Amino acid sequence: MDGNYIALVVALIVWIGIFYFVMKLDNKVRKLEKKVKS
Amino acid sequence: MWWKVLLFLVMSAMIVASFVTEIPQQQIGPASRIFYYHIPQAWISVLAFAMAMVYSILYLIKRSPEMDDRAVNAAGLGLLFCFLATVTGSIFARVTWGSFWNWDPRETSIFLLLLIYGAYFALRGAIADENRRATLSAVYAVFAFLTVPFLVFVLPRVLNSLHPSDSIIDKNLEFTMGPVVRVIFFTSLTVFTVLYFWLFNLAGRIRRLERSVVEEL
Repeated sequence: MDGNYIALVVALIVWIGIFYFVMKLDNKVRKLEKKVKS
Repeated sequence: MWWKVLLFLVMSAMIVASFVTEIPQQQIGPASRIFYYHIPQAWISVLAFAMAMVYSILYLIKRSPEMDDRAVNAAGLGLLFCFLATVTGSIFARVTWGSFWNWDPRETSIFLLLLIYGAYFALRGAIADENRRATLSAVYAVFAFLTVPFLVFVLPRVLNSLHPSDSIIDKNLEFTMGPVVRVIFFTSLTVFTVLYFWLFNLAGRIRRLERSVVEEL
């Protein structure tokens, strides 16, 4: 497999991982904000 | 919510486009594809350090803990993106110059920036009193930013450097990039900026939650 495509797959996996982590953190913070408000 | 989905899709499309379209700089070769990531990261670090300075000034005027929190968050994210720019720059250096680190003026200046903003957090960690910590670190952040234009824009251009200086515009202030490269580059710049503001907002909300929990206790 061409090195270019390996780099592409690695970059996509890293981005999906970062996005998933930040989304999960965002949702957790939103839940806590609701709890603190109530 | 819609903009997060859009951010995900546009960033993913940008990543794919950055690897499958034409090479940005033919004379450098495929390694020049890293500039779609390296330059936006360096731009975000300058933006974040500038924001840290602005919020530090606002803290010194208003004495509001929230301004201090924002300054810390901006400096932290700036340091993170500065580190990422250093890593991507080192990978580029390894491929094109044959070594990860050469103490080139550009590498030395980014290393100094990492030290300067690392010292900001060392200073904060060394002071227990909250008001004193916020005041001293705000003054430090203002002076720290004064070095940024010199280290990022002046020093590497004054001294002889291997680092490419005409990746975006040439000496006549004309774009050196082709139309496809330009679209991918500015898309990358935009999505990285949106990602930064999302992280900045999230960090601010976490600090507010921490403060409200501490106040309840």
